[in-house]
Amino acid sequence: MKAFRGLDNFSVTGGLVALVLLGFLPTLFPGKYLIGVLTVAAIYGIWSVSWDFMSGLTGRENFGHSLFIGVGAYTAGFLNVQFGWGPWWSLPASMVVAAFFGLILGFPTLRLRGPYFALAMLSAAVIMQRLMLIFWEFTGGEEGIQDITPLIKDPLHYYWFVLALLGAITWFLAWMARSRWGLILRAIRGDEATCLAAGLPITTYKIASLIISAAFAGLGGALYAHYQLQVSPQLFAVVTSITIITMVYVGGMGTIFGPVGGALLLTLMTEGLRNFGEWRLMVYSLLLIFILFFLPNGIVAPTWNKIRNLFSQERP
Amino acid sequence: MEILIYGAVTSAIYALLAVGFTLIFGVARILNLAHGSFYALGAYGTYVLTSIAGLPLWSAALIAIAFVALFGVVVEKVLIRPLRHSQLGVLMISLAVALIVEQALFLVFGSEYRNVPSFVDSKINFGGVDVAGQRLLTLAVAAVAIGALYLFIQFTRLGSAILAISQDPEAAKYMGIPSDKIFSVVMAISAALAALAGVMAGPFLSVQPSMHLLPIVKAFAIVVVGGLGSIPGSIAAAFLLGYAETCVAYLISSSWTEIVSVLATLLMLVFRPAGIFGKRAAF
Amino acid sequence: MTDALLEVKHLDKHFGGLHVLKDINITVQEGEIVGILGPNGAGKTTLFNLLTGFIPADEGQVLLRGKSLREMRSNDIVGLGVARTFQLCRPFVGLTVLENVLVGSLGPRVKTDDIGARAMHLLDQVGLAGKAHTASELLSYGDLRRLEIARALATDPELLLLDEPFAGLGSSEIEALSDLIRKLHREQKLTIMLIEHKLREFMQLVSRVVAIDFGEVIAEGVPADIVNNQRVIEAYIGRQNPLELTQHA
Repeated sequence: MKAFRGLDNFSVTGGLVALVLLGFLPTLFPGKYLIGVLTVAAIYGIWSVSWDFMSGLTGRENFGHSLFIGVGAYTAGFLNVQFGWGPWWSLPASMVVAAFFGLILGFPTLRLRGPYFALAMLSAAVIMQRLMLIFWEFTGGEEGIQDITPLIKDPLHYYWFVLALLGAITWFLAWMARSRWGLILRAIRGDEATCLAAGLPITTYKIASLIISAAFAGLGGALYAHYQLQVSPQLFAVVTSITIITMVYVGGMGTIFGPVGGALLLTLMTEGLRNFGEWRLMVYSLLLIFILFFLPNGIVAPTWNKIRNLFSQERP
Repeated sequence: MEILIYGAVTSAIYALLAVGFTLIFGVARILNLAHGSFYALGAYGTYVLTSIAGLPLWSAALIAIAFVALFGVVVEKVLIRPLRHSQLGVLMISLAVALIVEQALFLVFGSEYRNVPSFVDSKINFGGVDVAGQRLLTLAVAAVAIGALYLFIQFTRLGSAILAISQDPEAAKYMGIPSDKIFSVVMAISAALAALAGVMAGPFLSVQPSMHLLPIVKAFAIVVVGGLGSIPGSIAAAFLLGYAETCVAYLISSSWTEIVSVLATLLMLVFRPAGIFGKRAAF
Repeated sequence: MTDALLEVKHLDKHFGGLHVLKDINITVQEGEIVGILGPNGAGKTTLFNLLTGFIPADEGQVLLRGKSLREMRSNDIVGLGVARTFQLCRPFVGLTVLENVLVGSLGPRVKTDDIGARAMHLLDQVGLAGKAHTASELLSYGDLRRLEIARALATDPELLLLDEPFAGLGSSEIEALSDLIRKLHREQKLTIMLIEHKLREFMQLVSRVVAIDFGEVIAEGVPADIVNNQRVIEAYIGRQNPLELTQHA
């Protein structure tokens, strides 16, 4: 008997179809603008999925996810501009560096109860942003690092590359979430003492999941750096973390695939609100409040589950 | 000597911020990330009332503080209380409020630094050092305010009720203490203290829309070091941090001061999560 | 004569100024069912917490087959074959009944490949097989107790510590649970330590009773002797209805 739910075929197929559709979108509506928006949406998807894997499953909300993003992006910037390495090195390097930060931050902070962990990570991200400004001789200060070489020159191909990565990462993390990893993380959310009583080394699992989350966030950061072709301290801002958390809430906490939908939805929505550029943060905050009050399970995941149930009822 | 005085001033501001933050946590278990916004609104409120409405400084300051206190009560009642079952929900919503306030301030006032007028314009020579009168006044006002708070909690019925709730909310309820009303009162006090800090420090610290963020990070650092829910702990830690930062600023460089708080926080969390005086550990 | 499975020697614990456990000595042989009896506040759960590594002892030794458990982390102790339940049932919120037991199966002692089948088998043994896919928060109190036991058994223990398993249950439920414990003891070859504050509940179940009051062992022996023990009776007068102690017809 299968102990773990595993990925159900319907969802996997659905995911693949969605990916292919998204890939085709720019061919239907040609233009650099759309490609750019979709690339950013996909990167936010990677960031959201990585957040959800750790925070969504364990319930320990990480308010400093932007730290891993920024660290990954700056690694890409440093390697590429300061040291002149080829851009493809950024990908594994950003993951390693971000994972390292996940490790050293995880140790002292994961013992803390939820809200304190959240605040500790928030503080860490704020300080990181400060450090980038303090050491401006090395990091370029406010301006950051400029003139990063792109990974793939053609925007459409780069978009497809990012999309493929998004698909792979989502599939991987969703699979993890439905395996024993996910079960343990969800149990940790339920009751840590009882987990210990069941013989599980919960600290190891918590830190490991943070490291995984950080690594993928850093990867997303590097991808972003090679898209924007510059990095700045703004990446570490609280805004980024809050945006991601909102996307996950809209998508459905703990579902892994939901946040991808949330990321896409919200990125496209904000592009629509582009004219109100300065109001974007306001909108996000208001949206977050709205969802916290009225839709705590999000929009994307519950809707998808309804669709899936409809289909399974139709089968004989 | 300079370090002694400036350190005291910084510590006083931090103490005002930290005491308010730890108060609302100790009583209502709310980690209020909008606390920094109260600070910001105190400063901006005074600015608006003096430069635009043309009110004299004293009344402007008092009205600004009163307004922020009221704002705090409304936020608590309308937005925070319904989500009290989830500590993280409270965190998120208070953070959302903080961001909305920051955005609103940015949209209305732009990002340039604003000038909040000082109560005392002259420089005073204190112990051989020329100090801005405003800074010394801040120190005095902070001491008076915290002293008043202490007296209030120790010697009034309302104060005892607050103490009771912070120690055991359930039992307090069974004794007929109206915890909801008390939360509002405590929130008002907490917000007022933060606003007071903003009013007093506005003249010599930067006033721009994102000014709320560092205070909240520092307040969090202080209450972790001093012990969540412990007022004496917060005051002691505020001084520790204030002096540590001032020393670092004078002896090394002022850009390093933020590192002090975070280092202190992380070290405390690793070695003694309950803080120096804390009874309730952070885990 | 078999070597003792568990030896507790001179165990001592203070909580601040409170001397919670004073020089506790207990030996448990393999295959026994030992009852730990004591009024509320006697220190019974603290004893369990010390044995399972949830809190550190001040002094004394805890030996499992001669191996010291003192400095070990609680999940490592589980790895050595000691499992426990809690006084207040704590299911994993958000997980189904089956998933709860699966979590218990992920520890270091379980070597089977098919933990799903094993988990279902355990649920079957405690009588919860029909509710495998129910959300654990929806279970009745009696069922929660069974789930706790199934989850503890999932870790493949040698020594099972049950903390007040009968608390809050009605008399027929108590009987059913006792039968279950007896059955598991027989079939799984477990050694069991049981905490209760009412002797009546486990009179028929245990072979030996260790009575504790104010952190000290005040009597030890078969249930029939304990009932008539003067010190035990005194410990209960003024704390609880003494009739509960003697009414065991």
